[in-house]
Amino acid sequence: MAFANVLFAAIFSAAVLFLVTAGLQLVFGVQRIVNLTAGSVYALGAYFGASAFDWVVVRGGSPLLLLPVLAIAGLLAGQIGFVIERVLRLVYERDEAFQLLMTFAFVLMLQDFLRAIWGAQPRIMGDLPDVYGALGIGEFRFPVYNAVVILCSLSIGLLLWWFVEGTRLGHIVRATAENKAMSEAMGVDTKKVTTLIFVLGSVLGTVGGALVIPTTAASLEMPSALIVEAFAVVVIGGLGSMRGALFGAVIVGGMRAIALSYFPEMEIMAIYLVVVAVLFARPYGLFGKAVS
Amino acid sequence: MTIAKKIARRDVLKGMGGTIATMAGAVAMPAIAQNAPVKIGILASRAGTAAYIGENGLRAAEWTASRINATGGIGGRKVELVVEEETNARETLERARRLVLQEKVDCIQGVYSTGVSLPMAPTLEDMQALTIFWDGTTQDGVKETMPSPRYVFKSTDNECEAVMASLLVAKHLKGKFKRIAAVSPDYTYGRNVWTAFKALNKKFGIEAEVVAEQWSSFTQLDFTSNVAALKAAKPDLIFCVLGNADLPIFMRAATSAGLTDTARFVLVQAGHQHGQLKKPFTPEGTLLCYNTMYFARPDPSTIQKEFVEYYMDRFKDYPHWECERAYFSMMTYKAGVEKALAAKGGRWPGTDEVASSMEGIEIESFGGPARMRKDHVAEEVFYGGFASHDNSYDVCTLANSYSFEASVLQKPSGADFWKWLETANFPV
Repeated sequence: MAFANVLFAAIFSAAVLFLVTAGLQLVFGVQRIVNLTAGSVYALGAYFGASAFDWVVVRGGSPLLLLPVLAIAGLLAGQIGFVIERVLRLVYERDEAFQLLMTFAFVLMLQDFLRAIWGAQPRIMGDLPDVYGALGIGEFRFPVYNAVVILCSLSIGLLLWWFVEGTRLGHIVRATAENKAMSEAMGVDTKKVTTLIFVLGSVLGTVGGALVIPTTAASLEMPSALIVEAFAVVVIGGLGSMRGALFGAVIVGGMRAIALSYFPEMEIMAIYLVVVAVLFARPYGLFGKAVS
Repeated sequence: MTIAKKIARRDVLKGMGGTIATMAGAVAMPAIAQNAPVKIGILASRAGTAAYIGENGLRAAEWTASRINATGGIGGRKVELVVEEETNARETLERARRLVLQEKVDCIQGVYSTGVSLPMAPTLEDMQALTIFWDGTTQDGVKETMPSPRYVFKSTDNECEAVMASLLVAKHLKGKFKRIAAVSPDYTYGRNVWTAFKALNKKFGIEAEVVAEQWSSFTQLDFTSNVAALKAAKPDLIFCVLGNADLPIFMRAATSAGLTDTARFVLVQAGHQHGQLKKPFTPEGTLLCYNTMYFARPDPSTIQKEFVEYYMDRFKDYPHWECERAYFSMMTYKAGVEKALAAKGGRWPGTDEVASSMEGIEIESFGGPARMRKDHVAEEVFYGGFASHDNSYDVCTLANSYSFEASVLQKPSGADFWKWLETANFPV
């Protein structure tokens, strides 16, 4: 039963990490931009989701509307991707360092924006630890909402896979990622494609943040809290690979849960030992490719 | 007349003119200075982990300054706050230097993190900048960097919270637990208070096996795995030193996983997040340590009552202990200046004179009587007790509020903390 708790915790951590890194991987995969705003939009989604749900409840909405309200809030908050991408467009033709700096500038601006709108106090979603209840057998007990987050994460992963592999638009996105010039020559409006991908990447971040807010707190340290593990996921999985994001998240989530149970003081070291091992064996990550 | 003589006379005339001008200015200065505001530099966190704490302190400092100004100021001079942000040690020190050298503040107050206060203190001493720290006195390093300060005044020892928690556990829970676990951010304070708790358990004859230790990072916001690990260890008492956004997240995760059904929790830094410790995930009987201010104490001082009403009405939140630290610092400074002013027959005192006057001064703070020891360590009242849901708030209050004077909880002047723990005669 103790192992069941640890396993569930590992899967939950992996699900959350996947939600954070999916957007990062999507944007890099197509645009070759390391989007440092991934953590910030995640935090934005969390704050916006918490506020949206408060707004609904104050107007008599049922707490059971939690999941749909958060999902919609995340989708709405993700539209900030349009603003960020529009500014980034100014530096697309410049050195990658400028793009990185620009996304970092947004990180700083978003930090101040979050503080100005929501204040310094962490936002926790009131009395909602068990709005969907808890399930369990014996000592194995878990909140149903956490299981919902895992299912959402899987669903999002499947949706992304279907989009990229099974739709015409997805094929166009892949073609643009492989060879932008050829895609343009074939009549693809690559500006629209890059905008779409960046906004989709932002939406993945904000939806992820909104979905996990009932299990955590929206706080100003959210962006930095995720960077360490998101970095590990991306390096293990390979930059730009969605499959890599999934496998990387599972590995990091699993290592974390096991380390905390058996060698708690080596939690971070355990994760980064895996990172080092992967880098030795496969320098571009498990599913990454060399970047030209 | 030779050129050399012309130059010499010209230079002498210029020099005399300069001297006359300077003397005229010097005569005029005291009159201008008397009407100038007393400038107090405030260093408070505005972002990140400690933003909420800094915000509380800053709000209290502003309220206190307004109150002082409404009652005539300090020695007839209005108080003006100059606020800078506390971030990391290097940047905060630069801002402090700016406050002293450019803004020419009369006193610096603030700072929460020991990681910031320790490197700053020697420089502020060298600059002869009168400084009152709100916090930032975890044991390790304080002796080395602030051995016998003249201008720097320290807060109560950070470990007072842990000593209070240990005394309450020993008094009320002895014999009720056998297996203990710790969960804390991995920093000196967290490790110190856990070590102090174990040492005091041993001192009071409490035999308990340590079954788990979870050391998190400050930015950790997901405790699902930590809770799973703690459940596997089956403790019956969990000593929790989390105190930022991580605390309510941890308690929610623990409640959802059923850990609060099988273990009693000791929340050493409950006072840092009491506004977030909602009833559904803070069971009754949880030991809550409120530090130097318990917003709902049954017999509040007049000043605390006034401040809590103002704070809750204005900010729709519950004020926390950093408010008390900010108030104590401001009022201690005021009392010190006015004492020195009286001793000088109304002439404005210098920094040395104010610093000397502040030693041993006593004031009525939010939490009750408080004083600044002669060794520049504050003494205030600490509060704690067991959580109750029997109130009209959405957060816990205390079923019974216990208070301890800092003179009970912190080591005397010159003593070593760990040796003092072994030999002190605690009221248990």
